[in-house]
Amino acid sequence: MASISIRNLTKRYGNFTVIPDLNLEIADHEFVVFVGPSGCGKSTLLRIIAGLEPISSGDLYIGDKRVNGVQAAQRDIAMVFQDYALYPHMKVYDNMSFALELRGTPKAEIDARVKRAAALLHIEAYLDRKPKELSGGQRQRVAMGRAIVRNPKAFLFDEPLSNLDAKLRGQVRAEIKALSQELKTTMVFVTHDQIEAMTMADRIVVLQSGTIQQYDTPETVYERPANQFVAGFIGSPAMNFFPVEWRQKRAVLSQGGTVVPLDGEPATRLSKAGNAVLGIRPEHFAVATDAADGIAISVRLVEPLGSDTLIHFDLAGVSAIARVDPSLRPKVGDRINLRPQPGKTHLFDAANGQVLR
Amino acid sequence: MSDAANTDRWIRWLNTLQLVLAGVLIMAPTVWMVLSSFKPSFEVTAYPPTLIFSPTLENYVELTRTTPFLSYALNSLIVTVGSTALGLLFGIPAAFAVSWTRITWPAILTLAARMAPGTLFLLPWYVMFRQIGMIGSYTALILSHAVITLPIVIWVLLPSFDAIPRSVFEAAQVDGCSVTRILWRIAMPLVASGIAVSAILAFVFSWNYFLFALVLSNGDTKTLIAAAFNFIGEGSTQWGALMAAATLIALPPLVLAALVQRWLVSGLTLGAVKG
Repeated sequence: MASISIRNLTKRYGNFTVIPDLNLEIADHEFVVFVGPSGCGKSTLLRIIAGLEPISSGDLYIGDKRVNGVQAAQRDIAMVFQDYALYPHMKVYDNMSFALELRGTPKAEIDARVKRAAALLHIEAYLDRKPKELSGGQRQRVAMGRAIVRNPKAFLFDEPLSNLDAKLRGQVRAEIKALSQELKTTMVFVTHDQIEAMTMADRIVVLQSGTIQQYDTPETVYERPANQFVAGFIGSPAMNFFPVEWRQKRAVLSQGGTVVPLDGEPATRLSKAGNAVLGIRPEHFAVATDAADGIAISVRLVEPLGSDTLIHFDLAGVSAIARVDPSLRPKVGDRINLRPQPGKTHLFDAANGQVLR
Repeated sequence: MSDAANTDRWIRWLNTLQLVLAGVLIMAPTVWMVLSSFKPSFEVTAYPPTLIFSPTLENYVELTRTTPFLSYALNSLIVTVGSTALGLLFGIPAAFAVSWTRITWPAILTLAARMAPGTLFLLPWYVMFRQIGMIGSYTALILSHAVITLPIVIWVLLPSFDAIPRSVFEAAQVDGCSVTRILWRIAMPLVASGIAVSAILAFVFSWNYFLFALVLSNGDTKTLIAAAFNFIGEGSTQWGALMAAATLIALPPLVLAALVQRWLVSGLTLGAVKG
């Protein structure tokens, strides 16, 4: 078990910089999730920690040891790959025992560790099978078992759930979280799925173009996003953004001039900035009973989800979504008054996207 | 019958015809060689060729009586097995290294060496081996035949290594494997059929290669195929004995290919689709 420290790390491929000057501290026993869109550098960062990609400049520490030039084989890190990367010619037992065998672990201990991990992952019945005889979910478990038996300093997961179907993904997600609590080992998990990030992480690293946009707890990232990118990336459906201005001591939509019911601190911030981007999550709209209290919208599309209903509408040139109570039962073409819930709005600098504080 | 069914029938018929023609073209010289080896000497060159004749083993008897045939066969076996082993010893790690590093020029270089005419190497080798007193040695023959076997091993194995997902090697690295151990414990077992195919092909090509043995061997180390050349004389050629020798020489590669033909096809197409 160990902390991971990344200091002024740069990764270049030729003239192309993938990660420019990145700093990150992952505490011992922490479960950190790297999340971001395709090409943001999250997998590259994970591979750098694993020792599968060299560092262009900067330092990487695992525990107290600087590991820049240390081979993957010597880093004592376990990794679960997106395609599981099981050894096709070896039985499940051999897949799991291989790393221990390489380290010269006594046979009896190997056997005990493999069986303990197999029991933990419910794969005891498959130990004599080859990977090709297993389903996707079983292979995924074997890949995790291969990592667990080693008792490494840290576990790295490279999008390990992306090849599973939705139901199995939810199940394995919960299992990994339970495992992390049981094993109490540093874990770094890469995903492009913000639900995985929110549900599993102690802290989330939101990446864009190799730069950390925010590094905080899931609650903070959701409730207080550092910028418009994070606000738009975390949350499903994504946050709605409307350009707004401060006119005649009122907040109005830049396009169309509709008055937005903003008060308190957000109104003060907007009055100082003059103009901004207003962010409202779909679930943070409330249906206004008084027409003067809300923004009148026309329902364009209705998506009933059972637990709640998504209403699609156009406002000030923006295609937006509101999540409302299913008892509302709106129809296409209906006119509804929506207002942002107090204290649930976000204002971002119109020029650089940073949150206005 | 519909037009589509008619067209399908024609295509099937044309395919069969093509295969039969190709088979006849490829097999005719072999059949002629085998039949001739069982004809009396005077009938081998008869024109028009006789198709019905009384088969005789006289050519085979003559062959074993006048030449140390078994000794030549043993020489061939030593040189072929030696050069195949050498090709595998260097070719397997070389193909893995090319696949691993994606640096392809060494593989292309070996291919160029394979494609170059043998005479290009012959003179420098002759001079070189003579200066170090190795003309006529098995070592010289095995080393020279490695020019045949090494490119075969590399180029048969390259797509097989390429077809293994990179993440499997990376998982082995993270598990604690050195590159050498990855080759031995992970990559080689996964391309076992490719290794077998490359070994068979290398064996066949080395067994059949004539030029280097003709110049670099001596009476003690002469290979079968070079020895068979002795039947072609300036004044007269012993066609019957030559055909018998050629038949015996062709036998091991043919038997080998026939035994493993299914494996051969799967091994040659191993890299085509990722499993």
